[in-house]
Amino acid sequence: MNNSILGLGFILTAGLVSAKLIKKFSFPAVTAYLLLGILIGPSILNLVPKDILNSSGMISNVVLGIIAFGIGQNFSRFHLRRIGKTVIWISVLEACGALILVTAAFYFLLHQPFYISLIFGSIASATAPAATVMVIREYRARGNFTDTLLGVVAIDDAWCLIIFAVSLAISQAIYAHAVAASFIIRVFLNALLSIAGSFILGAFMAVVLSIIYRFVRTQAELLILTLGLIFLNIGIAIWLNLSVLLASMFLGAMLVNLNRYSFKFFDSLKMIDSPLFLLFFVLAGANLEIGILNNLSLVGLTYLIFRVAGKILGVNIGAKASGAASSVRKYLGFALVPQAGVALGCALIAKSDFPEAGNMIFTTIVATTVIYELVGPLCTKYALRKAEDIIIH
Amino acid sequence: MQVRKVMSKEVISVRRSMKLRELLGIFKDFHIFPLVPVVEDDNRLIGVVSFRNILDVFQSSHPDVLKLVPFLDEEEQNIFRMDISEDIGDLVVVQDIMDLEYIYIREDTSLEEVYKLMDVHLKEELPVVDRSGRLVGRVGIFDIIKFLFKQKGIMS
Repeated sequence: MNNSILGLGFILTAGLVSAKLIKKFSFPAVTAYLLLGILIGPSILNLVPKDILNSSGMISNVVLGIIAFGIGQNFSRFHLRRIGKTVIWISVLEACGALILVTAAFYFLLHQPFYISLIFGSIASATAPAATVMVIREYRARGNFTDTLLGVVAIDDAWCLIIFAVSLAISQAIYAHAVAASFIIRVFLNALLSIAGSFILGAFMAVVLSIIYRFVRTQAELLILTLGLIFLNIGIAIWLNLSVLLASMFLGAMLVNLNRYSFKFFDSLKMIDSPLFLLFFVLAGANLEIGILNNLSLVGLTYLIFRVAGKILGVNIGAKASGAASSVRKYLGFALVPQAGVALGCALIAKSDFPEAGNMIFTTIVATTVIYELVGPLCTKYALRKAEDIIIH
Repeated sequence: MQVRKVMSKEVISVRRSMKLRELLGIFKDFHIFPLVPVVEDDNRLIGVVSFRNILDVFQSSHPDVLKLVPFLDEEEQNIFRMDISEDIGDLVVVQDIMDLEYIYIREDTSLEEVYKLMDVHLKEELPVVDRSGRLVGRVGIFDIIKFLFKQKGIMS
């Protein structure tokens, strides 16, 4: 099929219908989009037009830019002041726990090259706040455990974006050259340069946005300006070889601290982001290569187990360090099992940056995301029940 | 023309500790629920309550953290089917539902600027504060229209 507009129409409509269906089983819409993508992708029904499939890279960059921009809001002075040390400790350590355990498992157990292990490790640090929030809502969970959990899932994708950007810079450098001892310093310098460059770009764009904002007269103009600047920011980041994720996150972070009415920029995006997100997940599913899944069972299993182990361990240490309640220490790790958009987006970036290993990385992450999204909400529910923040009759 | 010339100085404001029951009691004879400023004891503006926030009572809590969550499906709420109990009237206080992110203006802002802000952000009324952030009034879109009509001699 090569009629792109027909394809887009079909994806959007089928996406909506499938999300409505899966809601009956209390799963997030994301899961429906992914499964739909796998079903209509080239591996099974082959209903997605080539042009749309080929533009997956562009769509994922746009969507990731928008997500990272939103995640930047975490860094408002106001918000940072309100986050307690428990949330900071736990979120940083559970992200690092997954990073370290998964990287180590891939390197030592599976004997994968270090740069691939590091990519898997960094993707493992992400969680899926939406899936977690849905469980909390469904069971009307309330209490200290729930508050801590919400705080952790809201901010830990920010840590993931930073971890992934640094890991990607390191992996790219290692991939491009054989590793020599003297090389490590240059690798770190490269990573540092990429972060600093992204920061300067994002900050500069935030200032530009704030200046042009003065001339904005309508809601429509506000949306156009916000989108325009996000795209410019992403485009320049790609052009200068900087991190799209970090540049977008810093744009959001600077804006939220510069502009009194910054929340309006973020709100304006909410009018248009849902169809883009839908498209992003369906395409992620469609890009899954079912053919290579068979060879990936060991890789997938290692990833599934060690990511969760890393999260549980990280939460444990973080909770001890910050003196959190014992229910938080024991069970919060289980509530962090879901994985979705941020992990998929990072995997899509890895896919385009590493032509050889990319497919393996991407297919593993899509497959594990489906599993995590199906099992994850049950784990979150288990944790909430154990922590006695929900009562199930 | 500065906004202080046309704003209404009499504003019903509430404290963060006010119970939902009391809040609704104040406005029970109003045609619509207005934008209600929330102030501290020294009259410093710290938030607003709109009818949207009142609707939040029907939802599970934590609205401001949820703003940071991407891909979140909107909660389908059927307010006619919610089983909320009577004690919510005493359990929920203004602090729980008030918006911390809101548009406000200083009393020396020009009317053109105020109108622009209302236009861009789709607001029909805004709280007005003085230099130190204390609530001094409110301005509605009709206040601005009235001013213009008076200027043209259409209204007395």
